[in-house]
Amino acid sequence: MEKIILCIKGVPKPGTVKVDPVTHTLKRDSLELILNPPDRQAVEMAVRLKENYGLKVTVITMGPPNVIPLLKEVYGIGADEMVLLSDRAFAGADTLATSYVLAEAIKKMSPYSLVLMGLKSIDGETSQVPPETAALLGLPSITNVKTVLKERNNWVVLRQTEYGEEELEVEPPFVASVLPEAFDYLRPPSLKRLLEVKEKDPLVFTAKDLGLSSEKLGLNGSPTQVVDVFEKKFEAKGQVLEGEPSFLVEKLISVLEQKGLIHR
Amino acid sequence: MIEKKHLEELGKGSLLAFGEIFNGKLHPSAIEVLTPLKELGLKLDKKVVLVCLIDNLKSFQDLEVLKKSIADEVWMVCHQELVHFKDDLYAEVLIEIVKKTSPYGLFFPATSLGCALAPRIAGKLNLGLCAHVNHLEVEDGKIVMARPTYGENIIAKLISKTTPVMATLSIGAFSPSYGEREPKFFEVAMPEEFTWASKIKVRNFKPSAKQPNRLSTAKVVVAGGRGLKSKENFKKLFELAQLLKAEVGATRPVCYEGWVEEDRMIGVSGVTVRPKVYIGFGISGALQHTVGMENSEFIVAVNTDKEAPLVKMAHLALIGDASKVLDLLIKKLKK
Repeated sequence: MEKIILCIKGVPKPGTVKVDPVTHTLKRDSLELILNPPDRQAVEMAVRLKENYGLKVTVITMGPPNVIPLLKEVYGIGADEMVLLSDRAFAGADTLATSYVLAEAIKKMSPYSLVLMGLKSIDGETSQVPPETAALLGLPSITNVKTVLKERNNWVVLRQTEYGEEELEVEPPFVASVLPEAFDYLRPPSLKRLLEVKEKDPLVFTAKDLGLSSEKLGLNGSPTQVVDVFEKKFEAKGQVLEGEPSFLVEKLISVLEQKGLIHR
Repeated sequence: MIEKKHLEELGKGSLLAFGEIFNGKLHPSAIEVLTPLKELGLKLDKKVVLVCLIDNLKSFQDLEVLKKSIADEVWMVCHQELVHFKDDLYAEVLIEIVKKTSPYGLFFPATSLGCALAPRIAGKLNLGLCAHVNHLEVEDGKIVMARPTYGENIIAKLISKTTPVMATLSIGAFSPSYGEREPKFFEVAMPEEFTWASKIKVRNFKPSAKQPNRLSTAKVVVAGGRGLKSKENFKKLFELAQLLKAEVGATRPVCYEGWVEEDRMIGVSGVTVRPKVYIGFGISGALQHTVGMENSEFIVAVNTDKEAPLVKMAHLALIGDASKVLDLLIKKLKK
């Protein structure tokens, strides 16, 4: 059966982020993880394609074992197979080192006809991993994807950019990053599938299982290096006013007048 | 006439920037990114080169703009296959240029096309790539890039261990500047053996019906955050914007909530604004947002929380319910 590879990421629940003062990377072990919100769109697209064309969905993620509940959540929504890429050596990876692991794992899952990812993660916000992984796989990549359809043996893709909407045709397989506004409705996990997945465990692959070169992994294998992190603090510098809305609005209007934005 | 040069004849070790052209028009970011690169170029003694891909020189509408730019050189690659943007082909052209001219840096605007291209090149050439950089400097002869990170109030400074140093640069983070000396223009002759093939076929293109908003160049910005509590309240900002001839901006969380389209997002992965007056309604001021507006000339914050970062950085802070203040303000201005 034709297969879709769906890549997801566990991201720290906003507000729970801690940075390791020594390595300057995220402390991931202690975090509460949620499914990266833009990935939900990729999950929805995968499940719709599965329904329309009878494809099989393999969901894959890289991270410590505490991301397993997220794989199960996606299984609950409709994935058929779960894969976890987990190894201490992956820690601290930048986008290139992450894409390297993903690409090597995806190669092992051939044949497949489509790789889906969210447009970006809300923690790193780089949006680099989908095209980087595609380049490492030697496949075309298309970002900002709104719709994917099958036409004979090819994929037809609608891509939305600031310029407009493109209709593209591409030979399988390719890597798509899905637009955060692609779908209005995101189906929740089904209870039946959530019960089913309780008994299931993801396939786990380590660096050794995948035969990866250690010099390309994790923090040391990352070409970009954080040399400093600092918190930005603000000192109060302006006028602070408290009071009834009518008083505040009066003040605001007089400032807007002063700035020449309105004339009374 | 533009002089034609083979890749091998072009200068090596330069700072290259991708000059985005779509349907014959130059993206304004092409001019913006040159500003910080010129500074780096002067410090590092490197030439700054804008690299443009286009189907035909005749279809380029903004040559005059490029003539006024501060680039030292402009390299134009012209081929009919470049008439449409194709991720794989555009990346291959740039990869060929990198291989033959060994640049010191390679920079892209963080537009949707720039963000699609840069990682393909980084992946193929195994290079480090920093995203959404909004500050560049030279330390000990190295390019140091800064960007807010982890979506919290933390700024990271990064270096790349590989050459060329690569980054996508935040839109609007750098002001355009113009030079007195016209750059040298070269048409790049790609090697005979270069294949112009792509696995992507563009079948149709529907231009955006709506005009792109003018947020990044707006003189007045009225922005809203979660403190406005609902989509309905947020929408009132458009009413206010009309009264003040302003543009509406938003924080990341409300864009993700679907209160407004993401092209209104101010901040790290959105646009950077520098208006004369910025008014933030119900915005606490996470760094993710404030890096995109901190250079506004006059900042007004309307928020219930006296300790909020935006309240602290504001020139005028009004402590109160943002939606009530917004309602009343619109009512009074309409009179």
